[in-house]
Amino acid sequence: MSPAAAPDATAPPAVDAQPGAAAAPVLDVADLTVGFGSAAKRRSIPLQGIHLQVAAGERMALVGESGSGKSLTAAAVLGLLPEGAEVIRGSIRLDGEELIGASERRLRALRGGSMAIMFQNPRASLNPVLTVGGQIAEVIRVHGSAGRKESWAQAVELLAEMGIPNAARRAKDYVHQFSGGMAQRAALAMALSCRPDLLIADEPTTGLDATLAQQVLELVVERVAMRDASLLLITHDIAVARSHCERTTVMYAGRVMESGPTASLTGDPKNPYTAALLKAFGTVDQRRMYAIGGVVPTLLGELAECAFADRCPQAGPECRDGVPELRRLEDRRVACVKA
Amino acid sequence: MPLAIYIGRRLVFLLVALFGVSLITFVVTRVLPGNPAYLIVGVQADESTVEAVIERLGLDEPIHAQYGHYMRQVFSGDLGDSWRTKNPVTTDIADRWPATIELASAAAILSIGWSVPFGVVSALRRRSLSDRLANVASGLGVSIPEFWLGIILILVFFFHLDFAPAPIGRTLGTVPPEVTGLYTLDSLIAGDWGALRSSLAQLALPAITLAITTGGPLLRVTRGFMRETMASHHIRSARALGVPERSIVLRHALPNVLLPVSTMAALMYGYLLGGTVLVEFVFAWPGIGKYAIDSIAASDYAPVLAAVLLSACSYILVYLIMDILHFVIDPRTRT
Repeated sequence: MSPAAAPDATAPPAVDAQPGAAAAPVLDVADLTVGFGSAAKRRSIPLQGIHLQVAAGERMALVGESGSGKSLTAAAVLGLLPEGAEVIRGSIRLDGEELIGASERRLRALRGGSMAIMFQNPRASLNPVLTVGGQIAEVIRVHGSAGRKESWAQAVELLAEMGIPNAARRAKDYVHQFSGGMAQRAALAMALSCRPDLLIADEPTTGLDATLAQQVLELVVERVAMRDASLLLITHDIAVARSHCERTTVMYAGRVMESGPTASLTGDPKNPYTAALLKAFGTVDQRRMYAIGGVVPTLLGELAECAFADRCPQAGPECRDGVPELRRLEDRRVACVKA
Repeated sequence: MPLAIYIGRRLVFLLVALFGVSLITFVVTRVLPGNPAYLIVGVQADESTVEAVIERLGLDEPIHAQYGHYMRQVFSGDLGDSWRTKNPVTTDIADRWPATIELASAAAILSIGWSVPFGVVSALRRRSLSDRLANVASGLGVSIPEFWLGIILILVFFFHLDFAPAPIGRTLGTVPPEVTGLYTLDSLIAGDWGALRSSLAQLALPAITLAITTGGPLLRVTRGFMRETMASHHIRSARALGVPERSIVLRHALPNVLLPVSTMAALMYGYLLGGTVLVEFVFAWPGIGKYAIDSIAASDYAPVLAAVLLSACSYILVYLIMDILHFVIDPRTRT
């Protein structure tokens, strides 16, 4: 895996032939449905049958507008759904191990161990009264047998690896002494401290200026590749997906709309929603900024039709006859009856 | 030296505050009706005797002159004399402040002891039993008047159950030889277990009364900060990287909560140190609060002024000490 090839629009569709093939995916989410409230009093169903596979060493982008369920999917994978939310059905497998129904103890061992996450707003993601190095060292100690000294040394090493100058001294600093970019590097060091198989980066560059965002993303891609780990990059920006991820999954209203190699998905979108998203992000030549009309539907119950039907320029009566299946089409999967 | 500058600024603020407090109190006591000269010479005294006393006390001078005179006295360490007790006010206060310090300290320890841990635990799980109990406890603590609670405790534990001793001061036994002025500590130092038991028994009800009423707000604040902290991004991040719940609560959340809560606790202690007027009155506790009340009733100016100044001083000083502590402890104030 060559880290330098990252910001390339023609990322190789190498891992594409994968579903059902030889190597089991690192992360395999199938039919994940999450609801708020109890079965008797269901208040909403924000995730409705999510399918998502991330192969070993693969970089997958999870793209969609706000409220599409990207972060909730990540929370479900980590077993950290917000209070009041529960998994209604579906499965989440990490390295083949089923996580739904796994004990809290087991999940805690996996979190920060086999799977790790970094969030947006890195300065808020680090504890203001603990040293940055101390927080990284604690994660290392929790997941291994390293002692205080050893874990501290490793924390310093990680900070240096993430490009923080004077790491030994900076490790003793607190987060308020870090800039946003430096804090995100520290958060990356913490997330990668126990060599996870899967790193989830949830909008890791929100709040950073454009150049810094680019640097941080490149660093994330590079350091993940160094460890032969997989990356699940959550972003609302399909352009970010295009320049950093081999594969992309597009979500809308708690469902997967389309999934496949980034290059072909963005070059030839099969789902009108993907096309609209590309247009909205100005990746298609246009004079005026394009906005998708209407709003994301509120998911009070399970949908009975295509979630995008109300806003879709190509919608016809057949779109109202039930929720479109996520079916295989050429090199990808699409949930659209028109495709 | 940012700390030195910081402390310097605080001390200037302290002086300004004390000036304001002394000025207001001085004016208020002087314009209140009631002539202390009669108190000294008796109501039957003839006009000329009263005039002579007024002149001797300087009460015929204009009020700003009286204030200037008083402040010069204060800065030379003289708080004036009490016309009621016939003692220098400094002596009276030296006699009574230990009683207040003892009660305030016991109350503060009890108050922090129940409310802070309770606040932390009750914040961990919404709608849990401890959460509901905390709601009730903080509601009661905030809304029950302390004098009423004191009377109820006396009624129940002394009058009906005969479990507590009579609410008449600091001890029913022998007074231990004075070292600190706090009877409990002094009897410990003297090894006088009888005196220790008696002073603790006397201390219990007033201290519990204050611990309940001051603990209510403290519980509420602790729970609020703990909830807020547990919902913060950095706690979510720590959880998402597998940090165990024990460490989440004790290492990651608690320090963030204790910083603001300790400020609240310090304010509470400073307030108690200034004399807890109503509780001291109900329990006949011979502290600063009771001294101030008795002096007000007797139009005895000097002790009232001194008590108010002392109260303001202790409040500001405790707050200052806590501030400096935070300056040292909280990494965010260092750079």
